[in-house]
Amino acid sequence: MATKNAEALAAANKKYEWGFASDVEQELAPKGLSEDTVRYISAKKNEPAWMLDWRLKAFRLWQTLEAPDWAKLNVPPIDYQDAYYYAEPKQKKTIASLDELDPEIRRTYEKLGIPIEEQKVLAGVEGSRKIAVDAVFDSVSVATTFRAELKAAGVIFLSISEAIREYPELVQKWLGRVVPQRDNYFATLNSAVFSDGTFVYVPEGVRCPMELSTYFRINAENTGQFERTLIVADKGAYVSYLEGCTAPMRDENQLHAAVVELVALDDAEIKYSTVQNWYPGDENGKGGIYNFVTKRALCQGRNSKVSWTQVETGSAITWKYPSCVLAGENSVGEFYSVAVTNNRQQADTGTKMIHLGKGSRSTIVSKGISAGHSDNTYRGLVRVAASAENVRNFTQCDSLLLGDQCGAHTVPYIEVKNPSAQIEHEATTSKISDDQLFYALQRGLDQEAAVALIVNGFAREVLQQLPMEFAVEAQKLLGISLEGSVG
Amino acid sequence: MTVLDLPSARQEAWRWSDMEALRAAAASPQAPAGINPADLFLDIDGPRLCFVDGVFEPAHSRPGPVEVTRQIAATDHPLGSLAIGEGWALHLGAEHAATCIQIVHLGTGGENHVPARILLADDAVATLVETFAGTGWANRLTAIALGKGARLMRSVRLVQTGGFVSIRDEAEIGEAASLVSIFLGAGGMGSRIDGALTLTGKGAFAEMGGALLTSGTQRQEAAVAVRHEQIEGTSRQIWRAVAADQSVASLAARVEVARGAQQTDGEQSLRGLLLQRTATVNLKPELEIFADDVKCAHGATVGELDRNALFYLQSRGIGEAQAKALLTHAFVTDALARIGEEPVREAFAADAAAWLEAAL
Repeated sequence: MATKNAEALAAANKKYEWGFASDVEQELAPKGLSEDTVRYISAKKNEPAWMLDWRLKAFRLWQTLEAPDWAKLNVPPIDYQDAYYYAEPKQKKTIASLDELDPEIRRTYEKLGIPIEEQKVLAGVEGSRKIAVDAVFDSVSVATTFRAELKAAGVIFLSISEAIREYPELVQKWLGRVVPQRDNYFATLNSAVFSDGTFVYVPEGVRCPMELSTYFRINAENTGQFERTLIVADKGAYVSYLEGCTAPMRDENQLHAAVVELVALDDAEIKYSTVQNWYPGDENGKGGIYNFVTKRALCQGRNSKVSWTQVETGSAITWKYPSCVLAGENSVGEFYSVAVTNNRQQADTGTKMIHLGKGSRSTIVSKGISAGHSDNTYRGLVRVAASAENVRNFTQCDSLLLGDQCGAHTVPYIEVKNPSAQIEHEATTSKISDDQLFYALQRGLDQEAAVALIVNGFAREVLQQLPMEFAVEAQKLLGISLEGSVG
Repeated sequence: MTVLDLPSARQEAWRWSDMEALRAAAASPQAPAGINPADLFLDIDGPRLCFVDGVFEPAHSRPGPVEVTRQIAATDHPLGSLAIGEGWALHLGAEHAATCIQIVHLGTGGENHVPARILLADDAVATLVETFAGTGWANRLTAIALGKGARLMRSVRLVQTGGFVSIRDEAEIGEAASLVSIFLGAGGMGSRIDGALTLTGKGAFAEMGGALLTSGTQRQEAAVAVRHEQIEGTSRQIWRAVAADQSVASLAARVEVARGAQQTDGEQSLRGLLLQRTATVNLKPELEIFADDVKCAHGATVGELDRNALFYLQSRGIGEAQAKALLTHAFVTDALARIGEEPVREAFAADAAAWLEAAL
């Protein structure tokens, strides 16, 4: 028992490996939120006038809104004036090569455990597997790799602030189309103060030659991160996009309110994978990131397809519903999610599938795992419009409870206006059975390894959807997140 | 009542509700219903109570063990708390039985509120049939408390031609006690059936379910929460919705399992059938679980009739219209099959059949 305690302690200590803070010189916007803050950010980014107007419009709207309270979350009041809305690592101008990057930031990437393959990519090693990476450090995109090669294929992969300057028509055409400014409280806030993020445009008929990836990192104290991602896949295009996120361990709560917009035109396909590992706070619920994110895809074209895959292990509070508006005929939406909560974490996550197009199909597979004193809620909406003939939806949401102090909740909404729709919803709630555990133990696995094995099996359907590098990372994360929660 | 008191669709629990229809019903003028309350009773022996516009009508009643008294609503439910005034109460002592109590609520317009209380001591048994007819807004609050091993079987049919019926049930179910409430909404009124059932004793059983049949521009809704507070409880929520024309039928059912309520067995089955593409079915089968050794499953489906089943019946020489009627009937009957007494079950099935005949 003594060894077990020691092991558990060790496990607890190494629980959040990404909790370091990098000592990078920062340039911060004045604390607080006002029109001046919005102007400051816009000026910092050298934005055209239309962008500033757009931001100000959102800001004025935001002041009239109230934070949503329908989620099954206990969110302490947030003081929006007690935070910095812009933090920029100093001395960074445009970077021609990675060598010019602040060594401290590079060390950060190493510590972040960006997969070795991608470190090679960042270091520009010839012949390594190609994944284009954009890294966003607090409010600024610090490095985007493989830009030239992508450009040759016609793919635009830029930080969104660069894109606003270089491709204003494209950005203006699509920004706010999928998630309008007035969509919800946090999206409106993001529209006003978003600092950076990623812009991807894949032209007609192009299959993006490599996977695109962004790492988001909140480093500075008392800052919020508001990134904005916009991905447009033109007719017949394909792109796979990966997103990872971490933050230092701090006692205060930090806000992360991102907006992600995806647009798929005729026959286009976008695969969007997230491994979310923001700092979840300590075991007493102190500190951690509030992850209030609006992600939505518009499947505008015929036969277009968007697939969301998410592994959610971090954040003190998660409020996130990656959704698909299936407007195109025969368009397809997919949502695969594993959400793990431990200690005092709260997650209210799920998806919305809005079927507007004839013959549109959607699949939802959600796996919630709760441990410790956490609460894990799946909240989903499947809506079928009257004009959408022959819609098919299949939803499966399974919950696994580890321990008797946690909660698992399922809140599915089904709204159907067309009789030809075929909608199915299934859900189960269970715990790890003693038989399974006993079997694994008597095969020589220890308790933790056995639990990790069973949990990975439970989440298999979702993990299978992830690109290889992410799948490995996600499996490890699952194990680490649940360490010390059983036995 | 002021209009401001009503919940709005912006509130999560009321987003599918039709408070406009309720307002209209409450404001409707009174006019003779042209219905003889005596015709609304089923031909079964037992105590009878009749309320016309919320007022007790002794001429058509023989209350037996049921008391007619004024009551104060002890609830914070926005509609239930309005049900104050003259109502009825049934208190049964240990090992007593009162079967086939019939209560008829006839409305002629305007609003009427009737509170009710049912207290069954240990091992008492009661069955109850309620019928809502006429028009206007009928608002009811029923508080139910079941002692150890007590059993209550309650069947409620809403066959008002118009107006609105709102029902709020609040029940506490003791150890090994059983509560079964079955509802049939087969009239032309709007409705909101609201239930909060709490299993307070070990091994309790709760069932609330039924069928909502909507047509025209009608909206009917059920919103039920079953809370398991003790171990080894069982609950069932079996609801069916059939929506025609521009109508909306909504079913929201929730199972809550409190911390420590282990070995809970909760089951929800919500199914919707759309007869026309202009109709809407909304479903929300919700689970809220704080214990790790429970069996909770929910199933929800919406769609049209099974084509294979339809084809099978047609291949057997049954015409398409008749085959559809047969399958729809079977779909609805699922939810009514739990009614214990045969004459009551048959009466409910006949109401459903009449509705289907008109709609198909």
